[in-house]
Amino acid sequence: MGTAVTHAPATEARAKDPEPRHGPDTPPRPAGPQRRGRRENLAGYLFMSPWIAGFLLLTAGPMAASLYFAFTDYNLFDAPRWIGLDNFSEMFGDPRWRHSVRVTLWYVVVGTPIKLLVALGVALLLAQKRRGQAFYRAAFYAPSLIGASVSVAIVWKAIFSDDAIVDRTQKVFGIDAGGWTGDPDLIIYSLVALTVWQFGAPMVIFLAGLKQVPRELYEAADVDGAGKLRQFWNITLPMISPVLFFNVLLETIHSFQIFSSAYIVGGGAGGSACGPADGSMVYTCYLYVQGFENSRMGLASAMAWMLLVAVALVTAVLFWSQKRWVHYEEGGR
Amino acid sequence: MQQGKGVERRTVLKAAGASLAVTGLGATATACGGGSGSGDGTVTIRYAWWGAEDRAQRINKTIDLFEKKHPKIKVKTDFQPYTDFWKKFNTQASGGNPPDVFQNAVGFLRKYDAKNVLLDLHEQVKAGNLRMEGFRAGLEKFGEIDGKLLGVPVGSNSMALVIDKPVYARAGITPEMGWTWDDFDEAMARVRDRTGRAGDSGMYGVMYLYDLYLRQNGKAFFTEGGLGFTEADLTRWWTKAEKGVRSGLFADPKKVAQIKPKSALSAELAGSEFTWDNFTVRYTSEGKSEYGLAPIPTTDGKRTGQYLGSLMLSASRRTRHPVEVAQFIDFMVHDPAVATIMGYDRGVPATTAQYEAYRPTDPVNKAIAAYEETLVTADVLEPITPHPNGADICEAAFLRIGEELGLGKRSVSDAVEQFFNESKTALSS
Repeated sequence: MGTAVTHAPATEARAKDPEPRHGPDTPPRPAGPQRRGRRENLAGYLFMSPWIAGFLLLTAGPMAASLYFAFTDYNLFDAPRWIGLDNFSEMFGDPRWRHSVRVTLWYVVVGTPIKLLVALGVALLLAQKRRGQAFYRAAFYAPSLIGASVSVAIVWKAIFSDDAIVDRTQKVFGIDAGGWTGDPDLIIYSLVALTVWQFGAPMVIFLAGLKQVPRELYEAADVDGAGKLRQFWNITLPMISPVLFFNVLLETIHSFQIFSSAYIVGGGAGGSACGPADGSMVYTCYLYVQGFENSRMGLASAMAWMLLVAVALVTAVLFWSQKRWVHYEEGGR
Repeated sequence: MQQGKGVERRTVLKAAGASLAVTGLGATATACGGGSGSGDGTVTIRYAWWGAEDRAQRINKTIDLFEKKHPKIKVKTDFQPYTDFWKKFNTQASGGNPPDVFQNAVGFLRKYDAKNVLLDLHEQVKAGNLRMEGFRAGLEKFGEIDGKLLGVPVGSNSMALVIDKPVYARAGITPEMGWTWDDFDEAMARVRDRTGRAGDSGMYGVMYLYDLYLRQNGKAFFTEGGLGFTEADLTRWWTKAEKGVRSGLFADPKKVAQIKPKSALSAELAGSEFTWDNFTVRYTSEGKSEYGLAPIPTTDGKRTGQYLGSLMLSASRRTRHPVEVAQFIDFMVHDPAVATIMGYDRGVPATTAQYEAYRPTDPVNKAIAAYEETLVTADVLEPITPHPNGADICEAAFLRIGEELGLGKRSVSDAVEQFFNESKTALSS
């Protein structure tokens, strides 16, 4: 390994934020005379107007409506009827709802850490200078670009169904478990596998973080005789903890929202819309079932807001916890 | 954005123009969805159904025929698989934009009538645009609910026991009209013991079969307003099912789930399956064996509880072309040429004209016709069970919870309780 200090290329710093931010741009600074400032503001708003219109019509409006529907009995056909908190009490008393919460929590708690571990592991490998680096990075990143698509979910279903490649491979090893997608207990593992496979996005962020750890720290540790493991534990991990925090946060929120893969991989398996015996009935799937199969939009809206609150709480807990384990460099970044 | 430099008037105007253009485009896009009539008197009606590619090809041919005979009517089509169809339909109907005419089933008549989606076709019958004569076996009454004509049957089906013929022969079983559930249980055991295959694919979640069983005992799955059986009834039915699964009389539910979308029968997991009689067509193309139709077991040696079911064509109340839609339905159920194209794809044709026009030559379709004829001659057919608003959701819940019971995910008492809870919610909304 060379000792040359690798500088973080600007591209990687930019790749740090793969999800485009939807926040409004900062309004143009008032410059010069007031009239000109106002004019600039006007231009700014005009430029933004398609976006503002879209936001109001497609996001803010529907959200407000769904907040209202959450407290009503609404079947799409008849006018919504105000029923107060009934949707929420029905939800908590519904064993199928509790099942969907369990499935989702299981998916988040198992899938997210594995995905991040794989992402970090591969990032550590790719952080080293070697030939073909760019190719490997691109290759590992690619699945996270297409992974959320419907077509990949369909392919995934084909891979994990009965007598397909996974089933045949496991038979070679004497495991006769059959297709995972038709198995009420195994189907969730195929979904975890799908999310882990998309480790590329957090990996790129880890890579950027790793590149910014100052070389001198490792050199000093070498001099002090610290082993690789010790260096990772005492230098790398604390130094990339802000990036780790960012990834944990993003992936956790993302995992809670799993829908299309569960719906597609679990679809068509029998009586349930999501997996045999509701095996892949994650929260948003059950929300969809209530809203679109059972025409209970009021209840579905209440479920959506419940999810929002739950995710907000988890996020709050993560932010609170970061004081204990996230290390920010002096002066901040 | 350029800072410091003054923003020109032109820039502002350009920005305004750009955003107006975007909004304008949106407006045009929505406008396209509307009109269905045009200047020369040609009207376009939208027709939607559920089914697969094969059905679509047949239907498209019948539409070509229709458009030739009615050059002023154009038909726009749309189809999806069953569950997707209803989700899309529900969304369209709630948005006030349902297809003008669509395939329908009995479980949805009251549901969409309650939501004011369905057109009462009586008026069109009176006006002479739609003939309700010439239907077989009392089918003209099939789509009449609460005094309204909400659907016109296109073909009849009946529940049957579809069997793998060679398997039944090897087990030495020849089911006969009037055989009992005890005979059936014995047959299941013999199939299991002699052929190493489960007797049945798992009948406990099939609403239409349990309905027959209940009807044999003077009850029914649904009444006009709710469920026609008690927790105790269902506990008995599912206790027997659980035993059957454990003892291998019924196919391993996990395997059955895993081989989907193939059926347990064509995948050779089971020797027979309770389903609609026209499924032999599908199983013949799917599996390697020969499939036949056996009678439904009885409780008293006589009553099978059977009735003819049927797919229907319904019109939506919001259609702007009720006359053309009625003409379309009339053509589809009466025209002999349609029958020769459709075959038994949607069941045995509902009208005598179409029934006569298409006489199957292949053994599978011949057997279906023969089966329904024996039902008529044996005089076992009864009027159909009512389907209250919410019946479709109950049926889906019955299937799903039955499957969970079979998979060992629920105890019998838990399954029964869950089903009654979900049904209560579905039937009260």
